[in-house]
Amino acid sequence: MPRRTDIHSVLIIGAGPIIIGQACEFDYSVTQACKALREEGYRIVLVNSNPATIMTDPEFADRTYIEPITPECVEKIIVREVEEMKRMGAKGKLVLLPTLGGQTALNTAMALTKRGTLEKYGVEMIGAKADAIERGEDRQIFKDLMLSIGLDVPISGTAHNLDEARAVAEKIGRLPLIIRPAYTLGGTGGGIAYNRDEFEVMAKRGIELSPVSEILVEESLLGWKEYEMEVMRDKADNCVIICSIENFDPMGVHTGDSITVAPIQTLTDKEYQIMRDASFAVIRAVGVETGGSNIQFGVSPDNGRMVIIEMNPRVSRSSALASKATGFPIAKIAAKLAVGYLLDEIKNDITRETPASFEPTIDYVVTKIPRFAFEKFPQADPTLNTQMKSVGEAMAIGRTFKESLQKCLRSLEIGRSGLGGDGKPWRIGADVYEDRGQPLPRELITQKLSSPNAERIFFIRHAMRAGFSVEEIFNLTKIDRWFLVQIKEIVDFEEELAAVKN
Amino acid sequence: MMNRDLLAKAKSLGFSDRQIAHLTGTTEDDIRSTRKKLGLVPSYRLVDTCAAEFEAYTPYYYSTYDTGDDEIKPSDTKKVMILGGGPNRIGQGIEFDYCCVHAAFALKEDGFETLMVNSNPETVSTDYDTSDKLFFEPLTLEDVLHIYEREKCWGAIAQFGGQTPLNLALALQKNGVNIIGTSPQSIEIAEDRKLFAAMLKKLNIPQPPNGLATNEAEALEAAQKLTYPVLVRPSFVLGGRAMQIVFSDAELRHYMRFAVEASPERPVLVDKFLEDATEVDVDCIADVGHFANPNEGTIVIGGMLEHIEFAGVHSGDAAMVLPPHTLSKSVIETIRTYTHAMARELKVIGLMNVQYAVKGDTVYVLEVNPRASRTVPFVSKAIGVPLAKLAAKVMAGKKLKELDFTEEIWTKYWAVKESVFPFNRFHGQDILLSPEMRSTGEVMGLDADLGIAYAKSQMAANSPLPLSGKVFISVSDAHKKQVAAVAKEYADLGFELISTSGTAKVLSDAGLKVQQIHKLAEGRPNAIDLLKNREIQLVINTPAGQSPRADEVKIRTTAVYTGTPIMTTLSGARAAALGIAALKKSGYAVKTVQEYH
Repeated sequence: MPRRTDIHSVLIIGAGPIIIGQACEFDYSVTQACKALREEGYRIVLVNSNPATIMTDPEFADRTYIEPITPECVEKIIVREVEEMKRMGAKGKLVLLPTLGGQTALNTAMALTKRGTLEKYGVEMIGAKADAIERGEDRQIFKDLMLSIGLDVPISGTAHNLDEARAVAEKIGRLPLIIRPAYTLGGTGGGIAYNRDEFEVMAKRGIELSPVSEILVEESLLGWKEYEMEVMRDKADNCVIICSIENFDPMGVHTGDSITVAPIQTLTDKEYQIMRDASFAVIRAVGVETGGSNIQFGVSPDNGRMVIIEMNPRVSRSSALASKATGFPIAKIAAKLAVGYLLDEIKNDITRETPASFEPTIDYVVTKIPRFAFEKFPQADPTLNTQMKSVGEAMAIGRTFKESLQKCLRSLEIGRSGLGGDGKPWRIGADVYEDRGQPLPRELITQKLSSPNAERIFFIRHAMRAGFSVEEIFNLTKIDRWFLVQIKEIVDFEEELAAVKN
Repeated sequence: MMNRDLLAKAKSLGFSDRQIAHLTGTTEDDIRSTRKKLGLVPSYRLVDTCAAEFEAYTPYYYSTYDTGDDEIKPSDTKKVMILGGGPNRIGQGIEFDYCCVHAAFALKEDGFETLMVNSNPETVSTDYDTSDKLFFEPLTLEDVLHIYEREKCWGAIAQFGGQTPLNLALALQKNGVNIIGTSPQSIEIAEDRKLFAAMLKKLNIPQPPNGLATNEAEALEAAQKLTYPVLVRPSFVLGGRAMQIVFSDAELRHYMRFAVEASPERPVLVDKFLEDATEVDVDCIADVGHFANPNEGTIVIGGMLEHIEFAGVHSGDAAMVLPPHTLSKSVIETIRTYTHAMARELKVIGLMNVQYAVKGDTVYVLEVNPRASRTVPFVSKAIGVPLAKLAAKVMAGKKLKELDFTEEIWTKYWAVKESVFPFNRFHGQDILLSPEMRSTGEVMGLDADLGIAYAKSQMAANSPLPLSGKVFISVSDAHKKQVAAVAKEYADLGFELISTSGTAKVLSDAGLKVQQIHKLAEGRPNAIDLLKNREIQLVINTPAGQSPRADEVKIRTTAVYTGTPIMTTLSGARAAALGIAALKKSGYAVKTVQEYH
């Protein structure tokens, strides 16, 4: 199918200022989309209030609005552009591409739909339609949809007030419980409640923070393994998996705050194929017409029960990572699919031979580690949970997990040259420990392993040096034993190297 | 010499030279030369989507010690390496990635082969389309040097990626890397206190009185000489880590004991803090170092940004206005003269950022950084000239005259920069602005009217100004004199005023109608209740002294979590009033940057 000729101009909404949960990955995706659609000869209208982005450089769009991304302001832009197109005698219409600028763009597009702006000015949404976005974003609709196609989801219920929240908690029947406010970014206002009191406080805050005063109360999957799949689909219903990602940190830590590894390391091919099939079923059921989506899965380490956690019907933070991890330019391809191309019609830039319908294969291991800034917020709680707190991330590539992990740790710019053994002392709260002195106190290690925090990866080494077995560490962290065994090899080899000195 | 097998295994497990050196009791340099003698260097593989099944055309590489099969395409083009900024963090974010991307675009245009080195997957710089070759690698001496040597680069740009590459620059230079742009000697003058003071003396440019301290006693002595308040900070930082304004001996002692580690090698800087001064950031571009006679070089100021908050707020957190809106012509001329004098003296090739504090008619220099600053993208968008791109071309040899950029641009519209903070993620954290940078991002408000530009910046920062309703005002004693005038502006705009006893008395004494409510300790309903009930549309709350009262912190954090706009400085409150007035008068319109320039 050729590109659409009924389109004259494409309005792309950026992501606004860099905030936690929405960083410069959307500059990357929107910049790619601008380039890809200009290549196709469309006139590009861009709105973004963030001047530090490449996309707002005047040469990336025909019309660049450095203006606030609010429904009211974008409506003014639409009015102006519709007039401008009339004046130009443009043949073809103005369309809105909302799936590349993160949650900000998606929310703004939904607001414009709801206030009737798009209909009034005849602006079509491309990439994903409003009803598909709603199916992906509204947790209850999404869950019902998943159950209806035979996929499993965590037991849960929505609540709009404290009484409803209590009733859901009753139905699930056991703590801890996860609280997720609807339509907030990076899980703002969400959390894990371990007792009744905490539950009431968090439920109340979540309802307050949700723009639609709604929370989802969910069965806890703490300690479950967490996976992500990056899927793309075209108008002819071709689907491909771009990248599979495994979270090193089990469920309970926001994926933006988790160490993640691509491709998936600890599933059998059979398990992977089940997940792949499920991913296609999800994107089809939700009805994301074209473009990329990110689907998150939880797998019980005890019995293998697989549940769908959520899906993002848009290009996400994980898409940027998946693009860099595989070399497959998700945003660019998503933009081309949105204007009518099919996956098998788009050439892969890298090989110039294979089409975009070839699933990427990778022969290396990619590790991503988040970067935190707790030193700037000393009064805040540094425990990691379902609300994202990291401010950035580093990625590294190696032929093995071990190589990529250590490369990534030295990329973090936190003064470490790897997992340990670099001579730099360890500062834990007010205490300082030598890098290769006495092992750290067991109580401290136990505490740091059992609740997720920015330093946990290093505490796995401290634990191994203090004589904790892989099994003990697994019981405290629920980090898959395969990863722990890999780390053990690094820690053991550190001793071999140290033996040279003696 | 170390056993080859052991070393090879260490490298394949990802150990860095520094780890190996420490573990085996030698130095990083030793390990590197040993490895090279043994031929143990990484090979570069392609990220190609197809596990090498098809030929790949996009040069996107990673290193590995699983050696053999090196896939780098050789080429004879003159190569420039651009060092990226690594992971985003507060103080080093997208602004620096923007500069690196521009460097790649600019040098590609000028016929160089560009090599990008970075480890941040979120960025445009790590798009394989941005540079001629992308190396997804850690920004460490070991990893960068390998690429530089393997690719036989002509030069490297370390001034665009923020502190990360700057920290590497000297070690790279020692190992034979040609760091292009302003000479490291000049950078040293700007960073070394004594050399810097000597330069300012020579140029007859004032700086705030200052001292150095390597321990607590010296710090107290310096503070006594300078008199409080003083600004204290460690010597080498970006993003204002551990920078603080200190008002008493007790606070200074606490700072020296708990906040920094001072030593003769890493002294703490103690500056007289200029209260109520106005700060100005200047970004300029220069090619002086290309000329034997510095007077022949060209220096162009890209933009002057006047801070809205008083001095003492980190420039990464402050709201700013381009061009300056309150400074006199003579002050602006002084700033221009000083900037030119320093760029000439430092023989700058590329970008330079200067921070000034203006008190009365005196202009003090606070800091000079001969490199890309955080405000470069903002200024570039505001004036419509890609400064980073021009700077990269200048660094690689071009002159500003050849690039046809010799005249300062003074815009006829206003560009307001506002910062965005992550306080809603860190419950309980006080939100007062300080010399320690905490914002994660920024927005720009553009308009022909200053009030509208400010109002747009607040809208864009997701904190839109209210047009009516109630304003809760509570200010410190120091601000009581000025508060009535500000409050009157709001009353005139139709807002109802609410205050607690102290401020309420000042306002009613000034003839303003004000509703008095309980302080938190006095009973309910109080400000917290009203905030939670969304009965307050705007909060003006300035800190009472150095250790903020628990009450205030509660009010400020409640404002954040209820999404109520809050101004913590009177100048911010004044700007907001200006914005509200403009919005009420005429509303706002939108315009493209292509139309502005």
